[in-house]
Amino acid sequence: METSDTQNIVSDEYKYGFVTDIESDTVPKGLNEDVIRLISHKKGEPEWMLDWRLKAYRRWLKMKEPHWAHFTYSPIDYQDIRYFSAPRGAGGAPGVVDEKLQETFERLGIPLHERNRLEGVAVDAVFDSVSVATTHKKMLADLGIVFCSFSEAVREHPDLVKKYVGTVVPYTDNFYAALNSAVFTDGSFCYVPKGVRCPVELSTYFRINASETGQFERTLIIADEGAYVSYLEGCTAPLRDTNQLHAAVVELIALENAEIKYATVQNWYSGDKEGRGGIYNFVTKRGHCRGKHSHISWTQVEAGAAITWKYPSCILEGDYSTGEFYSVALTNNRMKADTGTKMIHIGNHTKSTIVSKGISAGESDNTYRGMVQVLPTAKGCRNHSQCDSMLIGDKCEANTFPVVQAENSTAVIEHEATTSRISEEQLFYLKSRGITEEDAVSLVVNGFCKEVFKHLPLEFAVEAIKLLEMKLDKSIG
Amino acid sequence: MTTDVSKVQVPVNVPGFDGAMVAALSVGEPALLSAARAAALEKYRSLPMPSRRDEEWKRTEPDLFPFDRVKPLPLLPREEAPVDDWNDKFDVVVHVRSKGYSIRDVSGVLAAGGVKVLSFAEAARDMGDAFAQYLQGHAQRVGAGKFDALGDACWNVGLFVQVPPRCVLERGILIRYEHDEDLSVLVPRLVIVVGEGAQAAVAEQMVSPDGKTLMVLPSKEIYIGEKGNLKLVSLQEWGDDTYHISSDWAVVSRDAQLDWATVNLGGKVCKMVFGSDGAGQGARSELHGLYFATGEQHMDQRTLQVHSAPDTYSNLLYKGAVLDRAHSVYQGLIIARKGAIRVDAYQKNNNLVLSDGARADSLPGLEIDADDLKCSHGSTIGNLDEDEVFYLRSRGLSDAQARKMLITGFFEQTLEKVPFEFIKEYARERIEAKMGRLMGV
Repeated sequence: METSDTQNIVSDEYKYGFVTDIESDTVPKGLNEDVIRLISHKKGEPEWMLDWRLKAYRRWLKMKEPHWAHFTYSPIDYQDIRYFSAPRGAGGAPGVVDEKLQETFERLGIPLHERNRLEGVAVDAVFDSVSVATTHKKMLADLGIVFCSFSEAVREHPDLVKKYVGTVVPYTDNFYAALNSAVFTDGSFCYVPKGVRCPVELSTYFRINASETGQFERTLIIADEGAYVSYLEGCTAPLRDTNQLHAAVVELIALENAEIKYATVQNWYSGDKEGRGGIYNFVTKRGHCRGKHSHISWTQVEAGAAITWKYPSCILEGDYSTGEFYSVALTNNRMKADTGTKMIHIGNHTKSTIVSKGISAGESDNTYRGMVQVLPTAKGCRNHSQCDSMLIGDKCEANTFPVVQAENSTAVIEHEATTSRISEEQLFYLKSRGITEEDAVSLVVNGFCKEVFKHLPLEFAVEAIKLLEMKLDKSIG
Repeated sequence: MTTDVSKVQVPVNVPGFDGAMVAALSVGEPALLSAARAAALEKYRSLPMPSRRDEEWKRTEPDLFPFDRVKPLPLLPREEAPVDDWNDKFDVVVHVRSKGYSIRDVSGVLAAGGVKVLSFAEAARDMGDAFAQYLQGHAQRVGAGKFDALGDACWNVGLFVQVPPRCVLERGILIRYEHDEDLSVLVPRLVIVVGEGAQAAVAEQMVSPDGKTLMVLPSKEIYIGEKGNLKLVSLQEWGDDTYHISSDWAVVSRDAQLDWATVNLGGKVCKMVFGSDGAGQGARSELHGLYFATGEQHMDQRTLQVHSAPDTYSNLLYKGAVLDRAHSVYQGLIIARKGAIRVDAYQKNNNLVLSDGARADSLPGLEIDADDLKCSHGSTIGNLDEDEVFYLRSRGLSDAQARKMLITGFFEQTLEKVPFEFIKEYARERIEAKMGRLMGV
């Protein structure tokens, strides 16, 4: 295996770095209208979906790759990426999952069997480009909840997809959103009907397996009036020397009195110590509180990827709607994370909360970039932001670039940020009690992130803590 | 693929500011100055005109400035010192007016030798290379651009202030800018050098009449030597049609201290940069700002707290209020450079948005390249607390009186940092007058 060397060095740090040897159905490298037609054809999409993809592609051709970020990275050759890769047989009989695939997901700790009902999580797993299985379908269907892969939704619920897709993140939005709209291969779709409270956590697990592929998934979640849904997302990829692109789009729509909770634990392969390989995680995530008293909450633990550009945002249009953003971003080695949020207050009495915790170790670069905007007609809006950065090591960088914009006299906005080194005193105290240095760091870091972790579902919170411990291992001293 | 828009920006020059103008300004100048102008001109020509695509200019578009309607003034000659109310309050009073500049040695410190207040030409002739080191201009600033280079190339009055080592300047220096020639541009450049262990206080005041379209592109460089101390107040009260783009930079050496208060009340469109660099171990900067924008005023202020050396300290508090249709922008950045350990930096920006239609933007920022330090910022935007208004009204004050009192209180925290007692009082009156006219009290 070409990655064996790399794997030996860092395998204990990234245990999801294995490659599953599975036959897959891919399209040739490169991007043009024929590739898009082929993807659309393979997925059996209706004409309108193909048209939309092509419009997005033509728009993308006219767009400029953004380079405003604080750092540089080697250029991406968009013609050197495979835009579609599906495990062979994935399109087969529903409910039958390939054994090897099953094994992969077992290894990743993702239950795909219905028998795992006790876990209380319905899972949709996306392997490379295609969604391979969705569990708990029957129980959800009885409640009228649609939870399936995006391709299935296009086939089975075209009206819903047509009505909502691209309404929060239009294909004109930005370079990567346009690219995604043109070539997106799969993703999850969820619709919770009026007044229904989804009884289980919905979850999608994303896995990039094949080399030289990009993953372009698209997730669309709609909570109709009075509905509630909590959604979790996890990601991993094998260790590879080359960079792979992940450009996803997530759209959330909350109608009147609806609530959506969206949690991500992102652990893409982040490259080795010298910064070789790793995933470019260029993602557009946005929620739209359309109805009165609607609520959208983003919680993210960003612990992987070579470069992360991610700003899960809320458009607070409905009066009295609320948006929340809780984030932990950890960078180590040569990782670069530029993440934050936008809270756009359009409706009256809308409220938003931002809590961002950045931890930088090694020679990494960790940036919070955010915006809070209160439009002239939005009365009585409120925002509180708290951004803290912790530095572990002397070669890392931590930056905070918030924008606060109040355009009327009734807005109340507060922003606070701190940057400091991990407290020597706290470490000393813990060590004097017989705790090892590594455990002491881990405890301090956990305390630092507590405010965010408490918004994760329990199992995820435990996972996240372990993930941070693993990522910080060997960065002290 | 598509063309990169940022690369096709043609370095357009500001009308009137070109090679011919620099040549005219250089006539008869010491070679030192004309060489510095020529170098800055090269830089100026090579830089693109800022556009709204630049983060720094996004909220204050260059189009807001009337470049095509105004003409630069020629090199200002020295003139008779005019009578000034504040004359007896300072050691030295400098006037910069549209027709010329003057230096009045009120207490005789200049005649006694030691303290120097010279034009650039005099300084270049008398001091030679000892002066040249202070002409670094835009070269040392963070994020310097087109207008910094323009100021360095095209200044039409240059003043050099030097307080010798261990000298304590009792009453300080007043520098007053009075610009009144319609449709003209004043480009003053000021260098202040405070020697080792010296202490000085400098007040700057900027005034111009209402109703005249005027433009000012000032720049200021400050060098504080080891253990030196400079107290500075910049009081900006331009007329209602004056446009201002400025860039100020202070280098604070080992164990030296800078106390800088800025009060911005006037002008139509202002784009200002105030920067300080803790360049030596133990350097301290206290930066306090106040801005009050009303009517259609647009005020954009950027502060830079740079920490290049270990154990440096900076504390910044900028407080602003916007009324009517005014728009204020505060962009702050703390930069801790590599190796700047044990830095302690704080940045705080409070804004009052007093009426609908007014707008306040706040962009505090941290850029940290070192570990083992403590940097933080806080930013708030809101209106007056209605409970506080109610409390005052329940004590018999009218609504307007209550609000006025609260705004005065809001600004007081910054005003008390203004070094000269009578300027503090004067600034209070100016703020009161500005509030009174607009809030109908």
